[in-house]
Amino acid sequence: MDPEIVPIHRKEFLREDGMLFVRTDGILDTMTKIPLLVASMIIVAAVMPIQSSFSSPRILDLVIYPDGSTHVSSEIDVDPLVTDFELDLFGSTIDNFVVVNENGFLLTTDVLGNSALVETFGSSVITVDYDIHDLVSKQGRVWTFSLDAPSDFTLLLPKNSAIVGMTNLPINMEIINNQNQLTLSAGETEIDYLFGTVPNTPDPTVPNTPDPTVPNTPDPTVPNTPDPTVPNTPDPTVPVNTTSQSDNLTYAIIGGITVAAIIGGATIIRIKQKTVKSIHDQQTIQKTETIDTETIDTETIDTETIDTETIDTETIDTETIDTETIDTETIFKLKPDLREDDKEIVKFISNNGGQVLESELRKKFLQPRTTMWRAVKRLERNGVVEIEKKDLQNLVKLRKNMEEEK
Amino acid sequence: MKILALFTIFVLIFGTTSTSLVSDAYAQKNTNILLDIATQADRQILNQLDRSYGDLVPSDIQILYEKGHAAVKSLESSLPNDVEQAREDFLTAMKSFMEITRMISEPVTETKLATSSDVSDRDLKSELNRLHKYFQSLKTIFQKHNMETDFSEIERLFVLAYEQINSNLIEETTNTFHQLESLIHIKKQEIREYSSNSASARIVEFALNQLEKIQKILEDPSIDTSMPEFEKANSLVVEIETLILEDNISAAKEKFGELNKIMKIIKRSTVE
Repeated sequence: MDPEIVPIHRKEFLREDGMLFVRTDGILDTMTKIPLLVASMIIVAAVMPIQSSFSSPRILDLVIYPDGSTHVSSEIDVDPLVTDFELDLFGSTIDNFVVVNENGFLLTTDVLGNSALVETFGSSVITVDYDIHDLVSKQGRVWTFSLDAPSDFTLLLPKNSAIVGMTNLPINMEIINNQNQLTLSAGETEIDYLFGTVPNTPDPTVPNTPDPTVPNTPDPTVPNTPDPTVPNTPDPTVPVNTTSQSDNLTYAIIGGITVAAIIGGATIIRIKQKTVKSIHDQQTIQKTETIDTETIDTETIDTETIDTETIDTETIDTETIDTETIDTETIFKLKPDLREDDKEIVKFISNNGGQVLESELRKKFLQPRTTMWRAVKRLERNGVVEIEKKDLQNLVKLRKNMEEEK
Repeated sequence: MKILALFTIFVLIFGTTSTSLVSDAYAQKNTNILLDIATQADRQILNQLDRSYGDLVPSDIQILYEKGHAAVKSLESSLPNDVEQAREDFLTAMKSFMEITRMISEPVTETKLATSSDVSDRDLKSELNRLHKYFQSLKTIFQKHNMETDFSEIERLFVLAYEQINSNLIEETTNTFHQLESLIHIKKQEIREYSSNSASARIVEFALNQLEKIQKILEDPSIDTSMPEFEKANSLVVEIETLILEDNISAAKEKFGELNKIMKIIKRSTVE
């Protein structure tokens, strides 16, 4: 054998077919890092719109009553893994606060100033309803509604009111029961309105619809009592609300991006697997060749080292067994209230020379980590074992001085 | 690789601009509503000016009105082709009208007096409407859980209250309103009681599910079992289980919050 060792990176291979092999380390780096980077960017792009929509209302409807109080109704996605959700309210003068989850359960709430703590406990969607007196102010005859909305929202103005000023562009406007319903975008909005002396001209294309939210308000005897401010849910005969259309489009976009990201991710993984496999094959070939030249020299030293190590550990093991093995019967007599499954663990530890890794116990008894952890902790509390840390693992040892303690 | 890079760039650009695209598309689609709102506001302002000043409109207000009115005319002509101009015109008109209304709203005491009775009437009706909406919310909860209860008295009183409002019987309406309030309050108590009973079961179910998930996370081999949080999390799991068995839900809730915080630390350390 040739005793000269030639470092692989200084060696150039010229195969029989004349192809020249070059170093693959740099290529390997590039081939693995770039797809990873690309995949992360795709995930970020896909997640961005989802993140922005999470925890902000997916539906937000406001109804202004003639006295300026406002009914807020919103539907919010919440994290089902948390116990509570802190809800930002639009003000502090709140009445009739009701929060229900997706199953219609009334949730426990605690209103503190401008926020409310809702005990969600696994709910994924909550519906919040409350009346608020902070959104509309009045100066002279002019009523001003102002809100910094976290999402797009609909606003139903009181009957006979006329908008006389506003600070931003509405997305849509509909006439429902002779009332203006605006769809507005997120952000700061200020709308001035007054109770008009000039009648509103209703859109002839939109029929007046009965109040859909008051199906059981029985008032057959009183023709003029339908609640003018209550209507909130759009009537099916009225053209579809743009908010829902916008939502659908947004969902479609998010869905599209997600699908694209998944396809992209799958492609990257496939490419990566192929690349890594071929590089790995090449490296294996190269390494075997190198080992051929290197192994002989180091073989003697290696075997010597192994021999001495084996001897050392064997000596320690036999010593441990001699000194630390404790009779399980004695333990059981000292601790008669041990559980049967705990006794099995003790027997196993004892048969293993009085000490065993917790992971070995899990393998032996096919128990999940936490269950075994609890069993071991129980034995530790009973004074049967002690736990030591060994290479980031728990080493469970039978205690030697149990009899003395007794 | 080149295709992949192009694809990524496309996804990034599309992902970041999609939200604004949606809003723009809808604003453009409904430009006619801008004209409806502006025209209505223009009419209202003209009417208000006429009522407040007659032919003697102060010059500053007159200038503002002319500016707003011109913007409405411009808006009319710029639609439907020039959407950008239409938006600009709309905002100009509405801001001018907003200024005018704020200027004319203060000195008119006469109008205030004329509408004061209407306002008090409206207040009572608004309150009744709000209460009715609240009642509807509670009623929905009752119906959702098939809870048997009698709403007939409340519904009768609502009918009566609306009748009284229409007949301008303020005192009677107020009395009916108070009766309604107290009856609805009793119903609310009923729901609260029911909810607190069902909440315990819901919380226990949630906690047990979560504990199972947390145990699975703790069994992940990548978790460093030597970290103090691991031990703490495990002991909290045992503690919560015990508290749930003892039906000590409020203490279990508290411990659960603690466990969630620790789990966040453990998850972070796994990612790192």
